[in-house]
Amino acid sequence: MTMINYFRFLLFCSFGVLLSACNDNSNNSSIDTFDRELMLTHWADNIIIPRYETYVSSLEDLESKTEEFITNASVDNFDVLRSSWLSSYTAWQAVSMFEIGKAEENGLRNYTNIYPTDTNKINQNIAEHDYNLTLPSNFDAQGFPALDYLLYGLSEDKSEAAYLLTQSDRNLYLSLLVTRLKLLAEAVVDDWKSGYREEFIANKGSSATASVDKIVNDFLYYYERFLRAGKVGIPAGVFSGSSLSHTVEAPFCGVYSKDFLLASLTAVQDFFNGKSHLSNGTGESLNAYLDYLNTKIEGADLAVLINSQFDSARNKINSLNQNLKKQVETDNVKMLEAYDELQKVVILFKVDMMQALNIKVDFIDADGD
Amino acid sequence: MKKLLFLLPVLCIILFSCDKDENQNPVLAPDTYSFERNGLTTISFSGQTTRIGMGTELILAMKNVNNSKDLLLEMFRNQKEDGTDANPFTEEDLNASLKSIKSKVAASADLFTTNTVESALIKTDIETWIMAQVDEVFSSANQLAGIGVAGQIADGTIARYVSAKGIEYDQLVNKALVGALMLDQMVNNYLSLAILDANEQIVDNDNSVLEEGKNYTTMEHKWDEAYGYLFGKSASVAEPLLTLGNDDVFFNKYLARVESDGDFSGIAQQIYDAFKLGRAAIVAKNYNVRNEQVAILQEKLSEVVAARAVYYLQQGKNNIPIDGGLNYGTAFHDLSEGLGFVYSLMFTRRPNSPNTYFTKAEVDGFIATLVEGNGFWDVTPETLDSISEMIAAKFDFTVAQAAE
Repeated sequence: MTMINYFRFLLFCSFGVLLSACNDNSNNSSIDTFDRELMLTHWADNIIIPRYETYVSSLEDLESKTEEFITNASVDNFDVLRSSWLSSYTAWQAVSMFEIGKAEENGLRNYTNIYPTDTNKINQNIAEHDYNLTLPSNFDAQGFPALDYLLYGLSEDKSEAAYLLTQSDRNLYLSLLVTRLKLLAEAVVDDWKSGYREEFIANKGSSATASVDKIVNDFLYYYERFLRAGKVGIPAGVFSGSSLSHTVEAPFCGVYSKDFLLASLTAVQDFFNGKSHLSNGTGESLNAYLDYLNTKIEGADLAVLINSQFDSARNKINSLNQNLKKQVETDNVKMLEAYDELQKVVILFKVDMMQALNIKVDFIDADGD
Repeated sequence: MKKLLFLLPVLCIILFSCDKDENQNPVLAPDTYSFERNGLTTISFSGQTTRIGMGTELILAMKNVNNSKDLLLEMFRNQKEDGTDANPFTEEDLNASLKSIKSKVAASADLFTTNTVESALIKTDIETWIMAQVDEVFSSANQLAGIGVAGQIADGTIARYVSAKGIEYDQLVNKALVGALMLDQMVNNYLSLAILDANEQIVDNDNSVLEEGKNYTTMEHKWDEAYGYLFGKSASVAEPLLTLGNDDVFFNKYLARVESDGDFSGIAQQIYDAFKLGRAAIVAKNYNVRNEQVAILQEKLSEVVAARAVYYLQQGKNNIPIDGGLNYGTAFHDLSEGLGFVYSLMFTRRPNSPNTYFTKAEVDGFIATLVEGNGFWDVTPETLDSISEMIAAKFDFTVAQAAE
């Protein structure tokens, strides 16, 4: 709480600084004629839809590897299944921020990656055969975190884990969860391809419900809540006062938690810079928009500041243990340091960038009860 | 500062010199809420600590969909349905106690001594919501909520359990108790002259007559009992602001929330200081200074509840999905809290007046407007703004100041 207040205070201070900075700016900049439609088109065609397509095909692979494992529960097939899970979980990191359109309507993120997963609830669901995965109370009994438990949490011994997964109808639950992930993702990509893309691009104005305002808010919300807080801050105990190592992402397999964080950070930074998913090309982006507006903070380009702050955060993260749970348990100060660098991006985004783009933050800090 | 302190007695003399009957003893507040006689503390408020503890367990129990109506009602009444002793709590001291939440709900001397009809209605309101939590909400716990359908709804990543109108009864009861129990007992009961000066208490206090077997005068004790409804679970009795907000889920918590809004910063210290100076005034037998603190406390404690009511109505308004989506969970959570604080408005007390800021009829009108039709599913921003404005208009703050 104190920490949150402190950041609020920081935000408040930066806000004051910015107000005066902005006034200088508005004198020499004319009306905003940046081509939002071009940016939205680039986002949809070269970033969002291709990333979703990669994600969906990774889930199709996961589904087929699951079927193969259920048919023949060999250790080899188990290895292949685990590695397919890793690919699709990694691909998820690149799309989670786009909670808009059908993804928003269906609550995609809530059904895909809420952790820590509730292993008691999972076991109860498996035992009772009578559950409704659409209920919010089952958010934490499905998706990738539940698969993490089923694939890595049943036993530390690989062949025993593979065996246990075939027992007591666990394989049915596994298959159900995987298929559900695939169907949820397909619904989103199908929607983008059957009219939502056009709607998204046509909604090119500047208002609380316009596409740019909405997706930038989604992007910011994702960064603040799910990347900064979810992957780093909460396990490091920033919000609770004491560290909570079990709340890292994918704690049962453990060693990929840092990779997921890095994948997420790269996906965020690439979106900011407008980097295409399937090539090294870039197009119109938040970075370009800020350049167009010539946004400077004490003489420095805001977009440059944001990228260099991303890089500082990445450097801190690179020095962490592959297994963030171990990092928290052995040297939490390094986690806190990484959090601090990630937090500095929030301030640049939430205060400086939003102000420059004239976008109102549409979410508020929950008061925690 | 020291100069000012020297001036204080002079000030008192000037202020009260024309009123010959009044006591003119100078009052100096101690640094902390710490009062002793013969080397032992004179402060006691165990009954308040007990009731806050019972309330805490009740609210927690209202969040567990497996709990029965009987258990929840027993927690509210600390009695079984047939009136015999119940042991519904996990904390043994609470089971051992014969006190209850219910006996002190809408039970203040000033408002309810001659209005047991309304007192009974308020107790019934709260019991109705407790029962509805089981009958309407828990029984629908395994289905999705919709317009006119009770069930689960997502608030961010977590599940909330709401009635067909979108109400979380646990939130409503929690926030209604802030008014019906804590605020009412403080501003309309223990800080009321009807309680402080009852019987021979002024004479007894003047002569330092202690309650039998106790180290305090009755008047001192009454004052401390008001203090206990705010700080009864605080780690330090003397310096409770050190842990403000972490000590309970009732008044303490929401005073901290209001304090953290820059427009209200300092209010926690003002309330603490008034409690401290008023208590010192009782020790000094200076009832003018005491009464001035009563007025400050009535105003400020009432303001906390009003500010919180406006805050949650505005948060709810801001969280209503703007584009016709169905993500109402966050808004419903805010509005459920707001509904409880609105209910609590009927206990807010105008200083130097026998009246509350709002009558029960006015509050019932707000509640009816908020829950009419499909309730929170179709409440409009205009309605939320209009009620917010009506609340703020009676206090020394604006809707905008309370909203964030």
